[in-house]
Amino acid sequence: MLHSTSLLRASAVAALLVVPAVSAQAQETFVVSNWGYSNDFYEPFIFEPFEKEHNVKVVTETGGAPERLNKARIRGGVDVILLTDKFSQIGINQGAFETIDDTKLSNFDELYDAAKNPQGDYGPAYTFGRYGIVYDKTRTDTPITSWCDLWREDFAGAIAMPAFNTTGGPLTVMMAGKCAGSDAFEDPDTAFAKMAELKPNIVKTFSSGSELTNLLSTGEAFIGLAQDYAFPAIQAANPNIGWAELSEGDFRMMNTYNIPKNAKHKELALAFIDFSISMQAQKDAAIELVSGSGPVNKTVELTPEQASQLVYGEKAVLSMQPTPYDKLLEVNDDWESRWNEVFGR
Amino acid sequence: MNARPSLVERINALGPWLLVLPATAVLAFILIIPVAGTLAESFSNPAGFFANYRDFFADSYNRTVMIRSFRIAFLSTLTSLILGFGGAYMIANASQGVKRVLLILSVFPLLTSVVVRSFSFMAILGRNGVVNTALMKLGIISEPMEMLFTQGAVIAGLAYLFTPLMILSLVGVLENIEDDLYLAAGSLGASPVAVFFQVTLPLAVPGMIVGSILVFTGSLATFVTPTLLGGEPQMTLATLLYQKAMISFDWGAANTIAAIMMGTAIFCVVVLGTIASRISARRAVH
Repeated sequence: MLHSTSLLRASAVAALLVVPAVSAQAQETFVVSNWGYSNDFYEPFIFEPFEKEHNVKVVTETGGAPERLNKARIRGGVDVILLTDKFSQIGINQGAFETIDDTKLSNFDELYDAAKNPQGDYGPAYTFGRYGIVYDKTRTDTPITSWCDLWREDFAGAIAMPAFNTTGGPLTVMMAGKCAGSDAFEDPDTAFAKMAELKPNIVKTFSSGSELTNLLSTGEAFIGLAQDYAFPAIQAANPNIGWAELSEGDFRMMNTYNIPKNAKHKELALAFIDFSISMQAQKDAAIELVSGSGPVNKTVELTPEQASQLVYGEKAVLSMQPTPYDKLLEVNDDWESRWNEVFGR
Repeated sequence: MNARPSLVERINALGPWLLVLPATAVLAFILIIPVAGTLAESFSNPAGFFANYRDFFADSYNRTVMIRSFRIAFLSTLTSLILGFGGAYMIANASQGVKRVLLILSVFPLLTSVVVRSFSFMAILGRNGVVNTALMKLGIISEPMEMLFTQGAVIAGLAYLFTPLMILSLVGVLENIEDDLYLAAGSLGASPVAVFFQVTLPLAVPGMIVGSILVFTGSLATFVTPTLLGGEPQMTLATLLYQKAMISFDWGAANTIAAIMMGTAIFCVVVLGTIASRISARRAVH
């Protein structure tokens, strides 16, 4: 009898010890694959409210876009992935993502049309950014007003240009085609002949925003082809650097959400995307992240000061040139080979 | 007639093998299997067993990159050898206290990140860097020289990166040369220059070979320095590999480049290692 009482007590104690562990395990883990730099924003504004509402624990996986895409595709274990539209297009072409049923996104109708289905039935965009030209306004008397100004003789050895295998690299080829009076997709010979003319003006082709910042801050280059997310750091390093107002317009860059095919929590992923494109989350992102995070939700209202470094409002969204990544990826190998002939020899 | 060994004796005989078994298993798992996988992947192309290699070598740009990589690795090894020999010679001949300080100073850069060391070279060689500023203040040049983003900058950066390894390889060898040999050479009328070329240099060859293997293979494989100090015009096999794997997602080409780099490294280790051991053996006979 004594033995059975002890056994009962031991079982009760064991149960008490085990129950919290079981309930802790019951809380699902939701994995978000994101760049590291914006997690400071995501933690309080997106992750915590989402965790409370859905009783999940959000875990992030950070790193550069290509390595995260590779991991999500090959190894799995990611529920939502945040990528630039170039790499989300690569993921789509690889068959890595689920299509998205936008009727399940309550905030979908509030998005600008450009952000709704930028790449077919896949993830919506969650930010607008721009790719354009920045330059030290004290080092030239004639302002830059066109992409074609990059070819000016007085800019010899002055330009830092993104390498081909970056998000912005191939866009320069498109502009070279335009400045030569042709379409780079239909007539790459002319576009790359124009790129070869640009070579004397290029001081370095860079692979990351931080490298560009370094080149501009040390004075190695005074003109840079940049995405706006890098602009605050560039301006902090050299306040004389400003954004060029280009007659052809900047290129529109977008970051997108996608759900990998091997994601474990697909319904929850839809809820996460829906929450992230809501008016409040979009407004918070625009204010907190400052640059490179122009809101895609058209109901967001910002003060002129808050919007000063953002792609904000319908006029700004429509005035930019779209980036046709589906077409760019089709010609990628040919253009890469041509680019290497010009810049890699 | 010998009695059969007991079970305990047999286990004892296996002892050393059992001790290395866990480490060997771990190494096999984390090193040999992925490397073998990479090699196997480089041959798995539906177009044929050697199709990836054929495609790689058919592209003149890839050949240019490969030749450039070997040239950069060779020249940085040579630079490290010249600089490292001087440093190691000084350390080997210094007093015990000074030797310790010099060794710490020469190894100290290894404790700093490769990125930081490469960026520091940008500050030295840049348009507004230390060298250009000094030359302009001295009136030697009127405009900054273009030193960054050239092959010279990459070689200088790699030599700076790997010279400590060369010094470490040479110090031990130079320290082990008997003073009696110098005295004997001197008493036979050899000048200091002749002593250096006929005694010191030949006896230092094994250390030079070991150091050269480390610097050459390191220079061939390093990614950060050619990227930061050279850029696209100075593309090397390591940067091309990164581009193919992580940006173009061309895994066939990436595996092929990795296999070529591995093959080159193994070739260097085997050939130079054989030369070093033959020299050592010949010296032992004499």
